[in-house]
Amino acid sequence: MSAESKMKPLTRRSCLRRAAALSLVSIMPLPARATPQTMQIAMESAFGDRPITPGRVNLDLPALAEDGNSVLLGVSVDSPMTKTDYVRFVQLFSPENPLPDVARFEFFPGSGMAEVKTRIRLSADQTIVAVAGLSDDSLWSALAQIRVVEGACLDGLI
Amino acid sequence: MKTRRRVLKDLGVGAGALALSPFTARAADSARAARSRVVIIGGGFAGASCARQLRIIAQDVDVTLIEPSTTFTACPFSNLVVGGLRRLSQQQFSYRGVEAAGIRVVHRRAVDVDPVAKRVRLDDGVDLFYDRLVMAPGIELIWDALEGYDEAASNRMPHAWQAGTQTLLLRDQLQAIPNGGLVVMAAPASPYRCPPGPYERASLIAAYLKREKPRSKLLVLDAKDNFSKKPLFMQAWQRLYGDLLEWRGVSDGAAVTSVDPGKMTLRTDFDEFKADVANVIPPQRAGMIARRAGLTDASGWCPIRPLTFESRLVESIHVIGDAAIANAMPKSAYAANAQAGLCAQQVARLLADKPPLETTLSNACYSYVSQDHAISVAGVYQPDDTAWQAIDGGTSALDAPDAVRRMEAGYADEWFRGITSQVFG
Amino acid sequence: MWKVRIAVPKTAVAGEVLTVKTLITHPMETGFRRDTSGQRIPRNILSLFECTLDEQPLFRATFHPAIAANPYLSFRLVAERSGTLTFRWEDQQGKEAKATHYLEVTR
Repeated sequence: MSAESKMKPLTRRSCLRRAAALSLVSIMPLPARATPQTMQIAMESAFGDRPITPGRVNLDLPALAEDGNSVLLGVSVDSPMTKTDYVRFVQLFSPENPLPDVARFEFFPGSGMAEVKTRIRLSADQTIVAVAGLSDDSLWSALAQIRVVEGACLDGLI
Repeated sequence: MKTRRRVLKDLGVGAGALALSPFTARAADSARAARSRVVIIGGGFAGASCARQLRIIAQDVDVTLIEPSTTFTACPFSNLVVGGLRRLSQQQFSYRGVEAAGIRVVHRRAVDVDPVAKRVRLDDGVDLFYDRLVMAPGIELIWDALEGYDEAASNRMPHAWQAGTQTLLLRDQLQAIPNGGLVVMAAPASPYRCPPGPYERASLIAAYLKREKPRSKLLVLDAKDNFSKKPLFMQAWQRLYGDLLEWRGVSDGAAVTSVDPGKMTLRTDFDEFKADVANVIPPQRAGMIARRAGLTDASGWCPIRPLTFESRLVESIHVIGDAAIANAMPKSAYAANAQAGLCAQQVARLLADKPPLETTLSNACYSYVSQDHAISVAGVYQPDDTAWQAIDGGTSALDAPDAVRRMEAGYADEWFRGITSQVFG
Repeated sequence: MWKVRIAVPKTAVAGEVLTVKTLITHPMETGFRRDTSGQRIPRNILSLFECTLDEQPLFRATFHPAIAANPYLSFRLVAERSGTLTFRWEDQQGKEAKATHYLEVTR
């Protein structure tokens, strides 16, 4: 038996329309992604040409996300968080989203620990970049790769 | 390369174990063996189906199915058991039909795979050699992914996500709660087995409460915002169950972060709920043997080459069903059976040095929204280099009259009888 | 107006590092979506979050459209003294939402 033959067939277009009507399409269909230039501009406007060293930053993302509309992200930085040695900020970038900037978190000695969790949107498979700026003006980074299941349409339907 | 004898010696397998196995004796002259050997691990909708279809397509191939259990308990339709509408025995099937089809069924657990020696070790120490291995191990629940939820906790707070005693436990707990009790379900983030499953279950639990304990309430705490057939479920829930069923998504802070089975409480970031019955569906990953064999990536699931289902990580091993990353195909019994058929074709062709078949696959998932009403989603998928891309698809219409929903319940029933007789009959 | 939820312990021992969780209902409209008639839906996002203890800043976040709807944050702070924690969100037009919580710190 064929289950499909008993169903009203839907074209992909009407499927997309239906999903749009139900406001299920929300993972930023256009522009498709940040260009390498916009990503570079975002990084440069934040950090100029200061050296960024991999390390000290822990970036926690699932390897696979089925719903790019809401992905839990955790980031933390190894630091004693004293008045003289602490993390000033962590900045997140998403090279394959329409805009590379995601968020900037600022910390203070009273923060106790530089550790944040939030939920982000992802429009495609990509490598998220986290850059931490410390009180000694050094910059540290971490990367995390994530696969995002495509198809905002079917995302809402299956 | 090591000789087989040497590999076995290194692994400390004694002659006793070898003597028990006519298969390994035959495997000794594998280089000269005229018949190819395919071993299939896992006797569910993917594995058992693949074995049967391969048996028909490739008569000159030895097909061995490894499955520890002698009875298969089907997950599709088990939510009707939870809702008190069906007996568990109607979900259960023996492997007699599979054996009668000419497949050697070994009721043992596969404990290790050596992809270099192309050998599967069973829990009795016996080794089986293969030319191609098909892995269909299904899912494994990740204990302690939710703080406080381990295997012991599942005796108080059943998951019922692997059908059998857990299904009955949840049903019995529901039948024991007072009228006015609170049932809480924790639904996981994707991916997990059977995307619409938690919502079909919510529907059937609500149907039971409405029928037997109308002052009770079901609260669904979800670790995601969107789910399969959500508009259809939401509409059905509002019409059929009203305030009796409440769903909250992760954006409302509803994701369960920890449970206390002693106190029967579930915690989210902002609230604590005390439940009379708690159905906790934890996060999942590919079955344990897939990890042992090195088939899983950081996601816990098995990356595959879409067209052939061959693992991206290990040669000559194919992965089908829930354990595979077959996006955008969902982890459903229908998809598992469809993948099994194609995988059987591809394995037969690869063994005969033929190029793989180019084709599309389809999926359909039915969900009951009440005792006699159902909804469905269907899709058509085409493989490219990275994934099974959805090229067409649709769901039942919103606002469809009851007669259509009743008709779909009939199709669902037909589908279940069809797939189970095809695979286990 | 936006609905705010805060989870923070009522009391803490001095020096303890606490976890604070916040959630605010807001669509975080990206500005990249189009409605059914093809019109671009204008951007409408929360752009700033701030947590202070009696005016002293403890944590601050700047949001872009890649932050999911109903922004969720979990962050840490060290309990040094009793005082009023203020949580403040601001959208792109400068409209704000505020919540306060008295934190009692024991020795």
